[in-house]
Amino acid sequence: MKNRARHENRWALALAAAVAAAVVAIGLAACGGGTVGGGNSGEVSTAEGGPATGKLTISNWPGYIDPGKNGTVAEFEKKTGVKVDYIEDINSNDGFFGKVQPLLEQGESGGRSIFVVADYMAKQMYDLGYLEEIDHADLPTVFENLEPSLRSPAFDPERKFSVPWQGGMTGIWVDTSKAPGIHSVNDLFDPKYKGKVTMLDELRETVPLVMLGEGVDPAKASADQWLHAIEKIGNAAESGQIRRFTGNEYTEDLTAGNLVAAIGWSGDASLIENPNAEWRMPTQGCTRWSENMVIPVGAPNTAAALAWMNFVFRPNVAVDITEWVEYISPVKGVKELLEERESELAESPIVFPTEQFTRNCTGQNTPPELERVNEAWQEVLTG
Amino acid sequence: MEMTFPNRAWAWLRHNALPIYAGFAVAYMLIPIVVIAVFSFGATPRGKLTFGLNDGFTTEYWRSAFSLPDLNEALFTSLRLAAVATALSTAIGTLMAIALVRHRFRGKRLTNLLIVIPMATPEVVIGASLLSMFIYYTFALGFGTLLIAHVMFSISFVVVVVRSRLIGFDRHLEEAAADLYASPLTAFRTVTLPLLAPGIMAAALLAFSLSIDDFVISNFNSGTTVTFPLYVYGVSLRGVPVQVNVLATMLFALIAISVSLVLWQQRRAEKMASVRPEQEGTSMPMPPAPPASAGAPA
Amino acid sequence: MGLRQRLVPYWLLAPGLIWLVVFFVVPMYFMGELALRSGSLTSGYTFDWAWSNFPDSLSGHTEQIGRSFFYAGTATLLALLIAYPLAYAIAFRAGRFKALLLFAVIAPFFTTYLIRTIAWKTILSDSSPVVSVLQTLSLIPPDGRVLATSGAVIAGLTYNFLPFMILPLYANLERLDLRLVEAAKDLYSSSRQAFLRVTLPLTMPGIVAGVLLTFIPAFGDYVNAQILGGTSQAMVGNVIQSLYLNQRNYPEAAALSFLMMALILAMVVVYIRFAGTEAFMGDEEEEPA
Repeated sequence: MKNRARHENRWALALAAAVAAAVVAIGLAACGGGTVGGGNSGEVSTAEGGPATGKLTISNWPGYIDPGKNGTVAEFEKKTGVKVDYIEDINSNDGFFGKVQPLLEQGESGGRSIFVVADYMAKQMYDLGYLEEIDHADLPTVFENLEPSLRSPAFDPERKFSVPWQGGMTGIWVDTSKAPGIHSVNDLFDPKYKGKVTMLDELRETVPLVMLGEGVDPAKASADQWLHAIEKIGNAAESGQIRRFTGNEYTEDLTAGNLVAAIGWSGDASLIENPNAEWRMPTQGCTRWSENMVIPVGAPNTAAALAWMNFVFRPNVAVDITEWVEYISPVKGVKELLEERESELAESPIVFPTEQFTRNCTGQNTPPELERVNEAWQEVLTG
Repeated sequence: MEMTFPNRAWAWLRHNALPIYAGFAVAYMLIPIVVIAVFSFGATPRGKLTFGLNDGFTTEYWRSAFSLPDLNEALFTSLRLAAVATALSTAIGTLMAIALVRHRFRGKRLTNLLIVIPMATPEVVIGASLLSMFIYYTFALGFGTLLIAHVMFSISFVVVVVRSRLIGFDRHLEEAAADLYASPLTAFRTVTLPLLAPGIMAAALLAFSLSIDDFVISNFNSGTTVTFPLYVYGVSLRGVPVQVNVLATMLFALIAISVSLVLWQQRRAEKMASVRPEQEGTSMPMPPAPPASAGAPA
Repeated sequence: MGLRQRLVPYWLLAPGLIWLVVFFVVPMYFMGELALRSGSLTSGYTFDWAWSNFPDSLSGHTEQIGRSFFYAGTATLLALLIAYPLAYAIAFRAGRFKALLLFAVIAPFFTTYLIRTIAWKTILSDSSPVVSVLQTLSLIPPDGRVLATSGAVIAGLTYNFLPFMILPLYANLERLDLRLVEAAKDLYSSSRQAFLRVTLPLTMPGIVAGVLLTFIPAFGDYVNAQILGGTSQAMVGNVIQSLYLNQRNYPEAAALSFLMMALILAMVVVYIRFAGTEAFMGDEEEEPA
């Protein structure tokens, strides 16, 4: 008897609780947001210039600046008195975007005044209203020293919202002590290297490489050709040929000796502690890309951000950066300075690739029918 | 049975098989900790971890343990977050435990359910659902949202720990206080609370560990704030600096010492207030649901 | 009892209840709400009763779901096999080392989850002595590896959730009255029979609690798969994480996590039916004076 009463009591209470919760929820919903996503619909503002003071927070990829007491950041702090918080928290374009998107959606930048992201990501952010525009008048040093080939890229023809940081090439890192014979992206599908190969998780870098390996021009490929290449990669992943899809972490695996080869970035030597690892231009060509500094909406200190951009475009500062990161600098005059320093980097095809060297290379192309292709790619990534 | 040597040896083995096995099992559990501690002494050219300790040992990184500003900031953020979250969740949880054990009220089962379910929910779901709510209200993700999340998942564990302590509590001491004309509040303040303190401390330690350890939920709700586990995750992708191992070992030592102290206090309090003499004294604040960072493994 | 007296428990419970309701229960509602939207980041997510998100999210990821069951199940089983004798040993054979052993059991929690898992990644890396030993013992093929395989992920899960299995088992075993086992032996049963017919059934609540507390978090885990696994080891947690943070496909992500939550709730409810919330919490309630 008592049990039954308790039983009923319990259900009554559960019902009451459910009703209460529903009421609360509806109440919250009624006085809550409503719109989710859709981009920031505010007006696009221009970054304010002015004297540089205060604190500057920059988000960048790791291994992308010369560090330490004599590094560029320290130099900038000394010259301008601005305190710089340089955070290396970008490991992949998509991953970073995922983190900051909710903030940017409501006009916040999480305290950052500069991000460094790839071309297509910069455009994506701009289209969503997440970036501030940049007035050329505030950036004299930049536009004085900017390499002509980078003045008017397809994704931002008037350089309204982006300033190049570094460029690079995606090719193949090879552990020469384990597999000296790997020169082409097709070698990565060789069964004798099963489970010892990784590929980047960037759609626009890995898939074009594979397409080049099949003789397809990524810039002109149809969605079906993209999907075909993705399928090929997917099969290799499923069979265990490809060990993992990585962002920066292929450097870890190379260092630990877990791999014979990895699709990776040309300048990452500073992140790989393996004396046998070397970057190779794939026989059928590489993917070229560049990263850009952008100013997000809600950036707290745009004046300092602009000063930073001018600062790193001084050739004598840019050469220090290049010497350390070994990527392709957007600043004119760096090569000459390196020659003066008698650095062998001046002759390095990785830092100063000639037309001949990159003749087969393609850019970071966005595939047609992006949503469909991206979905297929994500399927492959999540196994 | 003839007591020949093989027979004796076999008998000894059979008798002690269980403790021997336990020894191996415990050793297995401690392997990563040992590895981390050992590797904090590894010398590597660029300060990043490689397997093999080829370059020998050094105490260099112990001396320069705090030389990475990003790491320091992440650790500091984690400690701050954990401190506040612990204070809040311990207070809230203790109150709930007292209500659950000492009082009668409607909806006890429902409350129990509400406390138990978060402990069993995968962190992915908790993190994702909180994110859904924050997205809906376009809430700024950061320290605040992290704090909310951390307090939320800690409350349940605090309740369980304090509750188990309260249940084994000898009411006679409080009754004695009442006999001496102490009001319920005074009795609570001067008798109950001090004796309960070790249990509350244990719960607080648990909440602290959970918060410091949390990765998954924080990953979803941190925005651009970097906590210690999030920092470790970031650097794990490109080479973990040895300082991380050093700090992890330090953190381990810190928590280990704290737990030992609390346990010791627990023993003393138990001797004064225990209620079940026939039970083997458990010197651990034994929540049936284990302390989990892992649970909330993060 | 005066009215004020009667209200005391409600005051005590209020902060906790409010916090849990607002930050645990309500977000579940929002997750459900988000699951019913459709759209994309650029066009915004509109609420249009998109029930199709639920079956869609399942159908697209049956492989990962199945894999999660397999990994979590295996890890739970292994944990049980490892933990039971250990808990038994600590409860009955430890003597003065009991506290020390229990301490050792929870010691892994004093290092961050992530660091423990990364330590395993280092220990199991291709060029490590451990792998060499395994190769010599022919437990893995001569050119085989441990990392980026299902084995590594299961090993990681087992290790990380072992304490969750040990502690409920221990709590339960500790309260076992050995006299019952002795009585069984007095009645001429063998050790094995005594175990199977007395000890095991009596410790069943502990086993069930341990199994639940291990299986559920393991099922939803993604860290082990991400760090120790390769391309074919993704679990449901990885999918959800990828959908939320990488693809920003919030509706599908929310649908999948909502379904996972429902599954878990079902398991918990079944358990509570079986054992009651008191047993889950581990102790009988005290009757107020």
